Amino acid sequence: MDKMLLGRYINGDSLIHRMDPRAKLFLSFYFIVIVFLCNNWQTYTLMVAIVLLCVKLSEISLGFFIKGVRPLIWLILFTVLLQIFFSTGGDPYWQWGPFTVTDAGIINGVFVFCRFVLIIFMSTLLTLTTTPLEISDGLESLLKPLLALKVPVYEIALMLSIALRFVPTLMDETTKIMNAQRARGVNFGEGGLIKQIKAVIPLLIPLFVSSFNRAEDLATAMEARGYHGGAGRTKYRKQEWKTKDTLGVVMFLLVTLALVLLRK
Amino acid sequence: MSIDIEKLNFEYQSKTPFAHRALTDVSLQISDGSYTAIIGHTGSGKSTLLQHLNGLLRPTSGQLTVAGNLITPETKNKELNELRRHVGFVFQFPEAQLFEETVLKDIAFAPKNFGKSEEESEQIARKMAELVGLPSEVLERSPFELSGGQMRRVAIAGVLAMEPEILILDEPTAGLDPKGRLEMMQMFARLHKQQHLTIILVTHQMNDVADYADHVIVMEAGQVIADSTPAEVFSHPDWLAQHHLGLPQTTAFAAKLKDAGVKLDPVPLTDQALAQQLAGLLAKNGGGQHG
Repeated sequence: MDKMLLGRYINGDSLIHRMDPRAKLFLSFYFIVIVFLCNNWQTYTLMVAIVLLCVKLSEISLGFFIKGVRPLIWLILFTVLLQIFFSTGGDPYWQWGPFTVTDAGIINGVFVFCRFVLIIFMSTLLTLTTTPLEISDGLESLLKPLLALKVPVYEIALMLSIALRFVPTLMDETTKIMNAQRARGVNFGEGGLIKQIKAVIPLLIPLFVSSFNRAEDLATAMEARGYHGGAGRTKYRKQEWKTKDTLGVVMFLLVTLALVLLRK
Repeated sequence: MSIDIEKLNFEYQSKTPFAHRALTDVSLQISDGSYTAIIGHTGSGKSTLLQHLNGLLRPTSGQLTVAGNLITPETKNKELNELRRHVGFVFQFPEAQLFEETVLKDIAFAPKNFGKSEEESEQIARKMAELVGLPSEVLERSPFELSGGQMRRVAIAGVLAMEPEILILDEPTAGLDPKGRLEMMQMFARLHKQQHLTIILVTHQMNDVADYADHVIVMEAGQVIADSTPAEVFSHPDWLAQHHLGLPQTTAFAAKLKDAGVKLDPVPLTDQALAQQLAGLLAKNGGGQHG
């Protein structure tokens, strides 16, 4: 479970660390959108260069980013193989029943792989350089215009920060209950598939029960301290939009322009 | 079923930059049928030590023998399962482990896991429910409908149902009302006497140590700093105070009497012992006046 990168923040004081979380959030989402503009070698090369530049600026070693790809590698490989075997068009190299391998298919497969890795690198960059609290504050601030549409923005941000806050607590709880059930003769991660699924029940039910109890206690504690929703609440941490954030946005707009010109 | 621990060291997240030491050179013996109390501060390594006793953790170096099973850093998981059926473990706030639809099924969970048949397990479960003082009408109810105290009893019955030879209790009475605590501790004492169960109790209640244990281990910063009898440990109030540990009520009272000039020897551990010694002294002094 320690492989999980979500919410794993690495302390630092790089340019990327010091950027406004709103800018980082917006730009990572924007990046995911413009990755889909890429459709040839030139555009993908440009995006790879941009990501590598951002990684360099964050002063975090590349190893952490590669670790972020690892949990998703099977999903990526599956999608890539799907692309390679089922794409039509182009010169066929090999054919067997519904499977065809063409040069266009292989190129598509490589592009899909690049797309996945680019998106994962960028979102890993966001969580590595931004604390969970900053992310949820930034999200709240970015979503504020949606208040006019009656979207419960404060509640969403609160839910997000509570969820992130309780990840370590839940992990402790899981270890504790696993130990207790192990002592009662459950073997986790042993035996056949059915046996393993059965072994999860004595773990999941107590976890659900304790999470509900904890949620209720938390709600009571918050109300006892006068929480009455987000409207009108002031913030202890102020977010400041600086020149570097504007520069970041300008750079990404320029990249978009370049992509539009380079794509076929 | 005795326990023999030799030079046990344990490090959390060993061989990583986050490694930190939890136990250092722990060597001790717990004899068959004894009632051992482990005391010490939060973070002194008590829980880590307990988890070694039924193979939930493996030593980083050193070894231990529990009920004839040798555990070394290389021991395989399969062998640990074999060990676990001999060692019942009541965790802190054990009611968190309940999950079955009915109380009876939850208590029967462990014996079923360890290879008992459905009927046998149910029979054991009924027996254990009675032993911990659960009324028979709750057996078919969901454990989540019960009061906190009753949930605790169900969880403890669920551990006793393994019919272990060694019973580990990690603060089994934390959060219970005084009556529930007393009943629970008396039940463990009964099991210890009648079924010859080896009990290892972690507690912050010095009164329980004085009342029930015959062996005390004091831990501090991952090391054993005393391994003795309650009478010996509690006859050094200054040493205990130095290590931020208290005295049982009776012994504290005896220490005050000593300051006032009434010397009791040996140091009384229970109120009965104190009363008897005082009665003896009064009779002697009273006799003197009359003569």
